[in-house]
Amino acid sequence: MKKFLLASSMLIASAFGAEAQTINILMESVPDTRYVQEMLPEFKEKTGIDVQLEVVNYAEMHTKLVPQLVAPEGSYDVVIVDFYWVGEFTKAGWLQPLDERIKADNFPVDNYIPSIMELTGRVDGTTLMLPFYNYAMGLTYRKDLLEDLKHQEAFKAKYGRELKVPTEWPEYLDQVKYFSEDAGIEGFKGVVNQGQRPDPISMEWSNYLFANGGRYYDPETWQPTLATPEGIAALTQYRDNIQKYGPIGAANFSFDDAFNVAAQGKAYSYLTFNMFRPVYDDPASSQVVGKMEIAPVPGGGLNGSWGWAIPKSSPDPDAAWEFIKFIESPEIAKKRALLGGAATQKQIYEDPELIEKYSYYPQLGELLAYAQNFPVFTYTPAFVDVLGRELSLAVTDGKDPKEALEQVDKEFAELLRKDGKLQ
Amino acid sequence: MICVGAATFAAAAPTLRAGPPAVDGQPSPQPEDKLFMTAAIAQRDRWFGFAMTLPGLFALVLVVLFPILFTLWTSTSDFTLLKPSNDAFVGLSHYTQAFATPEFRHALSVTLAFVVAVVILEFLVGFAVALALDKVEHGKAVYYLILLFPLLMNPIVVGLIWKMFLHPTLGIVNYVLSLVGIPPVDWLGVPDNAFWTVVAVDIWHQVSFMIVLLLAGLASLPKEPYEAARLEGAGTIRCFFWITLPLMRPVIVVTLLIRLIFAVKTYDIIYIMTRGGPGQATELVSYYIYRRAFVGLDVSQASAMAVILLLAVLALTAWLHRYMRSLAQ
Repeated sequence: MKKFLLASSMLIASAFGAEAQTINILMESVPDTRYVQEMLPEFKEKTGIDVQLEVVNYAEMHTKLVPQLVAPEGSYDVVIVDFYWVGEFTKAGWLQPLDERIKADNFPVDNYIPSIMELTGRVDGTTLMLPFYNYAMGLTYRKDLLEDLKHQEAFKAKYGRELKVPTEWPEYLDQVKYFSEDAGIEGFKGVVNQGQRPDPISMEWSNYLFANGGRYYDPETWQPTLATPEGIAALTQYRDNIQKYGPIGAANFSFDDAFNVAAQGKAYSYLTFNMFRPVYDDPASSQVVGKMEIAPVPGGGLNGSWGWAIPKSSPDPDAAWEFIKFIESPEIAKKRALLGGAATQKQIYEDPELIEKYSYYPQLGELLAYAQNFPVFTYTPAFVDVLGRELSLAVTDGKDPKEALEQVDKEFAELLRKDGKLQ
Repeated sequence: MICVGAATFAAAAPTLRAGPPAVDGQPSPQPEDKLFMTAAIAQRDRWFGFAMTLPGLFALVLVVLFPILFTLWTSTSDFTLLKPSNDAFVGLSHYTQAFATPEFRHALSVTLAFVVAVVILEFLVGFAVALALDKVEHGKAVYYLILLFPLLMNPIVVGLIWKMFLHPTLGIVNYVLSLVGIPPVDWLGVPDNAFWTVVAVDIWHQVSFMIVLLLAGLASLPKEPYEAARLEGAGTIRCFFWITLPLMRPVIVVTLLIRLIFAVKTYDIIYIMTRGGPGQATELVSYYIYRRAFVGLDVSQASAMAVILLLAVLALTAWLHRYMRSLAQ
């Protein structure tokens, strides 16, 4: 009887203990969060740990996170980190290294796409995050128009090259010009841009910079390198695309303004985040269902991603790791991708089941393999602010592209010096 | 006020009852005694009144004075979001640095232009509508309700709605213009257009505030001066300039002051509609300071800029108040 009572009380205690174990995570209200939510019952079943997701808009995330990260014990066990914040969070020392946990559990970190692991994974050789979802940029274009024989002939006659998915940057610029000026489609433009400062314009222009062979800084010295012939060419082309070949108003378009123009069938192309690709096929928000496709930006587009991390102020780091390990396991990563998640692991893009469901997966895999990273340092958001201001001045206010980029280089260098990156 | 008065009366009542009655052959109090008693009661009332206001004062200090003093303190230290502490005193260097920053100076000048434009235009439109509505006999409540709608809306919602309406390709405004043969207008993509579009949206949102306040002022004006003026043969325009305007002056001063203070703090519609662009056309100072603190992580620098803005608003308010009072005299 005594043994029975002891066993019963232990069982009750363990049940209460398990019930009491809850982890809290602050997340952004995006589709990938929804897919995580759908995995939570399975996690609870496996580990007995409850997960409370606090879902807020992007604008609120940073303001909510910082006080919790500064506190000796915060309220979030797991946090998600945008690549924008990686420099700030690591400089402040708010994140726990994950290397020992990865090693102890033999977690397959090599599955991650290297550029994404570089962006929201390892910092100076230490693994502080595991990539969650990507938002690399790609070239979305009207495949029905590319396949149209009438346009193919007219384009070849005018520009002396085939009308096909562009693999060279000048080829794409010609296509933009053709669909704006020569295709004869009323009210139709070759490109729609997202020219609003600071983030939309900075992110989009980065693609133009990489496509022209430019880069933000010298990787050896961190010396800014924007006011170069490549940078100036990129800004001149960007300005022309907005002013000459784009719809009016593009100089102040945010992501959704520009996407709506493309989704309403008013533009041939839009350089945007790859997660928008499936939305083109949603009849509720698109007039071009089945007509849009995505391809890598010639020259390599801009990378972007979020990472999972355990803050030093985490009340329960062990349970937090259990969750990250579960949600990023290859099996669950595939389940999330099947729901529509923007995966960060290589094998997902080679999975036959997924390729059958999403015909554009091979292109996405290629896009991610060649995507290039934005400068990540403590003052990345402040740099985006400076870059956005100067690009917008060059596009809308007549500022000379060279002068604008020299100003960016100057302020970029000041921020890098403040961060100790540049001597 | 009523509560304090009642409490004071209640507290004073036992004192009066406890005063020396003229019974049992006791002499009635002398005038100087009465004076002394009155002074004592007044003294007690003062202390009681002070004690009653203490919780309110404490709350005011906590929620108004403390943040201002903390901002002042932060503006003279080196507080950043990476090193959130006020232990390094740097004097007034953040203030000199603020004035040396071209973007801050530019934001101040754009804000000044914005405030002048919205306050003047909203006042003119608001006063005209208030004068028209003042004469309305029937259905005033309906007009009030319609006019109050924009004011009741959150500025974020106002920004989103107008951004949608003004979308150059897909918005309803350009569509309506196209029906009458007007080519599409780039409302927010050209610096000058963007500035005036934001001003117009702000007017749409805030003009009801002016109307409601001015209408309340007009409704409270005495009727006699108008009747006398009419007997003397004064027309509507003369009545307006010689009676309405002088009598309305205090209401106008208060309305302009409140609107001016709120206009300086405009942030939401800029965040939603333009993010300070295109270029720097709509870079209002509140939005600039926010970015300095939460994007640039430099809370001390942002605090110094906020203090400069506070002093500028105070000075502007004091000047306007004095100017309007001098006009009244």
